[in-house]
Amino acid sequence: MFTRMSDIDRMFGAMDLLRNRMERLFSDPGRSWLQGSAFRLGSDSPRINIMESGDNFEIQAEVPGISKDELEINVQGNYLQISGKRFVDKPEGYKVHREEIGESTFSRSFTLPNDVDADNVEAALKDGVLYLKLPKSEAEKPKQITIN
Amino acid sequence: MDRSQEITKQEEKNIEKTKKLYEVPPAVDIYENEEEILVYADMPGVVKDDISVDIDNGTLSISGVRKLSVNGSITYEEFSNVEYVRNFSVPQTIDVEKVEAELKNGVLQLHLPKSEAAKPRQIEIKTA
Repeated sequence: MFTRMSDIDRMFGAMDLLRNRMERLFSDPGRSWLQGSAFRLGSDSPRINIMESGDNFEIQAEVPGISKDELEINVQGNYLQISGKRFVDKPEGYKVHREEIGESTFSRSFTLPNDVDADNVEAALKDGVLYLKLPKSEAEKPKQITIN
Repeated sequence: MDRSQEITKQEEKNIEKTKKLYEVPPAVDIYENEEEILVYADMPGVVKDDISVDIDNGTLSISGVRKLSVNGSITYEEFSNVEYVRNFSVPQTIDVEKVEAELKNGVLQLHLPKSEAAKPRQIEIKTA
C-alpha cells in the first residue's frame, strides 16, 4: 500500500490538518462541561470552582437568583457544605411561554485538602456568584524557612 | 517537497487561533400578560456594565461577558468565563422606548411593555 515514506508522511500530515481544524472549531475540546448554564432543568445544584493559594482556599459557586438568606454555609475542620434553595419568583397572572430555569433545593459538600480556620471565613455574594475565602488553619499554612 | 505537505505545514504555522470565550445561551423564563412580556435570564457572575440589551428590527439580543477573577491555582473547576448570548424575535407591538431591564442576583429581568395600540380592548356596544 505504501511504497514510499513520503506517502505515510502525507497521510499523517492530513490527519494533523484535520486535528488542527477540529481544534479551531471547538476551542477547548474535552472541557465542554464548563459551558452551559447553571440551574437548567435537570441540573439542580450550583457549579463550583476551587482555587488554592498559599494561605487560602477560594471557592466560587454559581448561584443565580438566590438571595443570601436562602444560602447556608457550614465549615468544620476540612469539611465544607453549601446548601440552599432556588425558587423562581413567578409573576402572578402571567401566561408562561418558556420555563428553562429549574427550581431546586440543593446541598453540596466538599472535603478540602487542609483544615481551615472556620472563624475567619469570608463569604460574599455578588451578581449571582458566591465567593468564599477560607484561610487555612495556622498549622497548615506554609512556613518560610530561613537558610543559615 | 510535496504539494500536500506544503499545505499542511502552512496550516501549522497559522497562528490566528486565539483563546475565544464560549458563547453560551442563558437559561430563560418568558412570561406574558396583557400589559407586557417578561423575560428572566440567568447570567451569574456578569457585572451590570458588561451586559448589553439591544432591540433592533424585531430582534431582542442579550449578551453579557462573565469575567471571574482567579487567585492562586485552580484545583477544581466546573465553570469558566463565558459570553452569554441569546437572541429572540419580539413582536413589533413592543414599545421599545419603555423597555426596562434590571439585574438582580445574577438574573436579568426584562420588562417589555406592549404599546397602547396592541393592548386588548373591550368594545362597548351602543344601544340604538
